[in-house]
Amino acid sequence: MTRPSPRTVRRLIGLGLLVLWEAVPRFGLLPELFVPPLTKTLAVLWLDRSIYGAALLVTLYEVAVAMLIACGVGILTGAIVGGVATMRNLMLPVFSSLYAVPIVILYPIFTAWFGIGSESKIAFAGVYGFFPVMLSTAAGIRTIDEQYLLAARSMGATLPQMIARVIIPASIPTVLAGLRLGGALTIIGVVVSEMLTSASGIGYLVTMNRTILDSPRVFAAIIVVLALSVVFDIIVRAVERRTLVWQTAGRRTASPEAAAPARLATV
Amino acid sequence: MQHMAQLSPGREQSQGAAVEVRGLGHIYAGRDGAVPALADIDLTVPAGRFVVIVGPSGCGKTSLLMMLAGLRTQTSGTILVDGRPIATPDPSRVGVVFQEASLYPWLTAVENVEFPLVLKNAPRDERRARAEAMLNLVGLSGFGGRYPHELSGGMKQRVSIARGLVQDPPVLLMDEPFAALDEQTRMTMGHELLRIWSQTSKTVVFITHSLTEAVYLADEVIVMSARPGRILDRVPIDLPRPRTYQMMATDVFGALRERVWHQIRDVP
Amino acid sequence: MSTAAVILIRIGLLAVFLGAWEFLPRTGIVNPMLLPPLSLVIDTLFDILGRGDFREAMLVTTAEVLVAFIIAVPLGGAIGVLAAEHAYFGAIFRPMLFYVFSIPKSIFLPMFILAFGIGFEQKVAYATFSTIFIVIMSASAAVESVKADYVLVAQSYGATRAQILRRIYIPSMMPILLETLRISMIFNFTGVMIAEMYASRTGVGHMIANWGENFMLPQLFAGVVVLAVAAMSFNELVRYMEARCSTWRS
Ligand SMILES: Nc1ncnc2c1ncn2[C@@H]1O[C@H](COP(=O)(O)OP(=O)(O)O)[C@@H](O)[C@H]1O
Ligand SMILES: [Mg+2]
Repeated sequence: MTRPSPRTVRRLIGLGLLVLWEAVPRFGLLPELFVPPLTKTLAVLWLDRSIYGAALLVTLYEVAVAMLIACGVGILTGAIVGGVATMRNLMLPVFSSLYAVPIVILYPIFTAWFGIGSESKIAFAGVYGFFPVMLSTAAGIRTIDEQYLLAARSMGATLPQMIARVIIPASIPTVLAGLRLGGALTIIGVVVSEMLTSASGIGYLVTMNRTILDSPRVFAAIIVVLALSVVFDIIVRAVERRTLVWQTAGRRTASPEAAAPARLATV
Repeated sequence: MQHMAQLSPGREQSQGAAVEVRGLGHIYAGRDGAVPALADIDLTVPAGRFVVIVGPSGCGKTSLLMMLAGLRTQTSGTILVDGRPIATPDPSRVGVVFQEASLYPWLTAVENVEFPLVLKNAPRDERRARAEAMLNLVGLSGFGGRYPHELSGGMKQRVSIARGLVQDPPVLLMDEPFAALDEQTRMTMGHELLRIWSQTSKTVVFITHSLTEAVYLADEVIVMSARPGRILDRVPIDLPRPRTYQMMATDVFGALRERVWHQIRDVP
Repeated sequence: MSTAAVILIRIGLLAVFLGAWEFLPRTGIVNPMLLPPLSLVIDTLFDILGRGDFREAMLVTTAEVLVAFIIAVPLGGAIGVLAAEHAYFGAIFRPMLFYVFSIPKSIFLPMFILAFGIGFEQKVAYATFSTIFIVIMSASAAVESVKADYVLVAQSYGATRAQILRRIYIPSMMPILLETLRISMIFNFTGVMIAEMYASRTGVGHMIANWGENFMLPQLFAGVVVLAVAAMSFNELVRYMEARCSTWRS
């Protein structure tokens, strides 16, 4: 007997989950309060589409600004920390130590400082996404094959040429991995902070509807968040496919150091 | 041996020295004190010569090559390349081919070859034509659009050679360029290198671990000892050119190989 | 740069940081209402450490973290080994895991609250849920890191399965296992914190969330410092063990 391909099995599992989502509450196996049927959830989502659309816009705005901050500051800091040996020795252990702190405990400070509007979400999600981008960029620059730099020097490259034509292209794969992770974390950070203390956004809809025990609307919000993650994933994959040439080679090893920040810290 | 000397015409009558090393010494400031890496190196390589350096691992071959390329500054002594000191890398005087593929994976073969010209801001058409010509020289015409990971190990080193030659430097330095290749490819590449060399009349300084390769390629084999690296012996290789694989089976070849082997084996 | 110099400069930087924390609010350059001076935070820190309710909250949080850790690590480890050892199983679930990774797990908190209430079980369940995926991933990576060559050599010398497990798998997986413990702890701690901050009547996370809402910044900062120090200490401890492992490994 030949086994069905893993992809087929995955699709079947996904389909099965959707069917269960509909059937389990319909047949009363679980109370609707716990899992409202899929169709009912989708109906509510359609009914309240203007509310969800508006909330999604708020969330997207916060995600966009936070991503800009996380990526910009992260790449810059990472380049300095990874590229300058002194900074590396000095700061890298400090940063990886700080990475252990659950950043979510800073959120109450941000709300105290910036209020419960978008600013506190942007600040929190920016910090949340910053670390993986920074660590990946530093790792990407640090793990560049020295042979590349030596070859460039032997061909008479100046420092600016070295940076533009060797260091940047050589570190793109690792930086991209960091951006992927940082982007995912930024979305997570925005949603988490909206759920904790806020008055708008998709995360707020989850919490608000939970407190009034309106499960279909909670799940409608969950669907929107899941869709957001899927779309982000699709975009990132498309970008990665375009830089496949870089990915196939170019690094001393697939070093665990470089891979470490690529482990998703999601909550 | 005199009949062999007759068969390598022109090589001995080269004009000036392409590479001139006088009283070269180098000391690395290591973690636990100074490491004397090279001492009393005197070396003259006449233009157009093919010189091969052999020696145990860590004897300073790479260090010496880096200094010849202007990639590292020696502690003492002088180096003249093409008659002038070489303080910084100068790809118009010295081309370098490294052991591992140091090709850039994000560039195609032809883009890799033209890279030194890009650094010089050469006009696009000119550098592309030059790079294509070099690829043609190393036997890779038609492969210019491939990325390094789409090329075999031997082909990658051909691209490296093309890149080293693209600015037409009089001197080509090669640090164990074929070490990562399988034996068969290695032989082919050695043979190809001799063909390229005879077509371009470059001065080549070539480092290897393989004694067979050394004797097969060289006009002269320089044997080095370790800690600090010194020149132990210079073995002239008077085999006729063009070299053929059949020569490897001859007694003369065996005797030369044996002589080099003795030197290396006796190194402490 | 020598190790001593690095340490000295780090101490210097820390001193500058702490000095600024004290000096900026004291002189009014930064609003002391928003950033309470360091000395005040330290006073408050000792104050709350002496309070019964804070100590109880610490105990609750520690218990939640530990129980979730004890559940998530073996369970995730077992699934991870399964995924690595069974190619088919792995091929099915690996991509799904990657996707699950990138979704905010916190959106499922409402379900945990409905299922478990807002007590101890809910925190443990949510923290386990938010940790288990990284454990699965790391455990499969650990198994895959064992060089097939080593196993082959051992087999050719007639090693039994148990011997191979003990002499090859465990030692070669050790560094990655420690790394897994370290990262799981970060996830786990974060999970407990979010659950406590989201809906809870106990725990340090609940307390700092409350202090934040009531604008009690000295207490909030003191609580954050306690949590951060705890997290970093555990992290450094495991890193120290990792370093010791890798010295004999290389
Ligand atoms: N950058 C460096 N710093 C300190 N010591 C070095 C450095 N590069 C090489 N060495 C030392 O110098 C000696 C010669 O090295 P190298 O030139 O690479 O030898 P080879 O190429 O013959 O194997 C070795 O003992 C090596 O450890
Ligand atoms: Mg060497």
